[in-house]
Amino acid sequence: MEGLKRHSALLACLALFYLALLFPFVRYMKNRPVVERLGSLPTVETLKFISADQKLFIGSSLVMKVIIYFGGLAELEKNRIIIPPDYAAMSRMLHAAVKLDPYNIDAYYFSQAFLTWDAHQFKVANNLLIEGMKYRTWDWSLPFYVGFNSYYFLKDYDLAAQYYRKAAELSGSELHASLAGRFMQEAGRTDHAIAYLELMLKGTINPVVKRTFQLRLTAFRAVAQIERARDAFKLQHNRLPTSVNELLATGFLSTMPIDPYGGAFFIEPDGRVNTTSRFAEKLDGKTIQEGAERKR
Amino acid sequence: MRIFYEITIKSIVRDRIFHGILFSSLLFLLIPSVAGLSMRQMTELSVNLSLSLISFILLLLAVFLGGTHVWKDLERRYTYSTLSLPVSRTTYLTGKFLGIAVFLLVAACIMGIVSAGIIQYSAVIYPPERPVVWPNLTVAIVCDAMKYMLVVAIAFLFSTIATSFFLPVFGTICVFLVGSASQQVYDYITSPATKDISFVSKQIATLVYYIVPNFSAFDFKVNAVYGIPINASGLLFVSAYFLVYLLAVLAVAAMIFEKREIV
Repeated sequence: MEGLKRHSALLACLALFYLALLFPFVRYMKNRPVVERLGSLPTVETLKFISADQKLFIGSSLVMKVIIYFGGLAELEKNRIIIPPDYAAMSRMLHAAVKLDPYNIDAYYFSQAFLTWDAHQFKVANNLLIEGMKYRTWDWSLPFYVGFNSYYFLKDYDLAAQYYRKAAELSGSELHASLAGRFMQEAGRTDHAIAYLELMLKGTINPVVKRTFQLRLTAFRAVAQIERARDAFKLQHNRLPTSVNELLATGFLSTMPIDPYGGAFFIEPDGRVNTTSRFAEKLDGKTIQEGAERKR
Repeated sequence: MRIFYEITIKSIVRDRIFHGILFSSLLFLLIPSVAGLSMRQMTELSVNLSLSLISFILLLLAVFLGGTHVWKDLERRYTYSTLSLPVSRTTYLTGKFLGIAVFLLVAACIMGIVSAGIIQYSAVIYPPERPVVWPNLTVAIVCDAMKYMLVVAIAFLFSTIATSFFLPVFGTICVFLVGSASQQVYDYITSPATKDISFVSKQIATLVYYIVPNFSAFDFKVNAVYGIPINASGLLFVSAYFLVYLLAVLAVAAMIFEKREIV
């Protein structure tokens, strides 16, 4: 009886110690540096060896890890804490994932989502997608992404048309066929980006990725609105407007379009519509709103 | 042989291995929620996770049942009374192997049925771009079970020479890892990228490739997850390879066990 009491007391003490330790421990784990949380990766050869017959599982786990990491950063961003994502580590993980599971569409889709607009690694994204096309021979989305990157970022219109044609063959979609024909020249970039973003948005149920695309789509719709007003202004005045405010003052725009990234739209001397937020750039150590206020 | 087969099955049931499998099977229920994290391939991820879980549970069963059963009989001196009966040691070994092999097959079937339910549920919630190819899923599970039967046979081979359970368990894990990577190594050394590797090293690597079991041949997970057609002649090759390799390993194990001094 005495022994049982002693053991119970010891157990209660240990439980208390555990509880006392648990909360600081959880806090420490939550606040660990982001790079540490994304972790380092053994070489693909080592991964292939140790994963034995679980290669697809390990491949999917790597993709999940990147998605959860990115989602965590997006959550922080909503709370006005901005930590720049480690794009290099994300890219390494996704490249390793497709070596283990070359059919994994999540890896290609997510790579396309961040390697282009955010990391500016257009050729890296295209190479990954072209490699994926060797495996996912039925999937129109990979040539569609390559076509978009070639057109929009790399301005290689022949290559863009070639991949859009491939996407059209695979999907039988009128949209892809018309894109293949249209994008031999640079006209209609914003409309093209909107069409692309709408398709990307339809392709996911992940709320974080959905939100990212939604944000960009809102920004591009605002740009398209300003572009339409600019063209109407030019038609009437035979010159380009000097600013968005001029469009507003002359009635070509009824309201000032809002940049969801917190920037301010402006018209460049050659007539292109741009924004101070550059659509993706975050401001070091500042929240989006603070940054916008500073600019104003 | 039948008596050893029945004893083995009874012993597995007595050890509450089935309870362990049922408990592990609860993990299947988490699969649809985890698959929801995917962006574009929720159902495919459900198939992937189900097959991975089945494979992992079968690996544990194969290594630990295969690696400890014969050793436990020797250690507890059950073999004294058993082998004094008018039966050969080969019959004893084969009966034991059959017991574990049938148990693995039953476990794979039960987990396969559970995972089919889970995958169907995922497919209803997240309709996939390409439909689930159920025959491919069946082939993947059956071939997985065949692979782990081969692992049990290798564990038996180690058990016939071992004096503790360390060799059967860790030896089997090592062979499993090497056998899973052997095709990759072979593909690498026969590729033009390896001009710098000496001829002798290549020959040794090729010899090892021929000797160790090729477990990657039994891996049809990609076909099941992404609905990629399975080559029928390839399936025949794998079945023939399984039979020949399994019988060869069991024959060597029986030969060694016949000669073993049991004290």
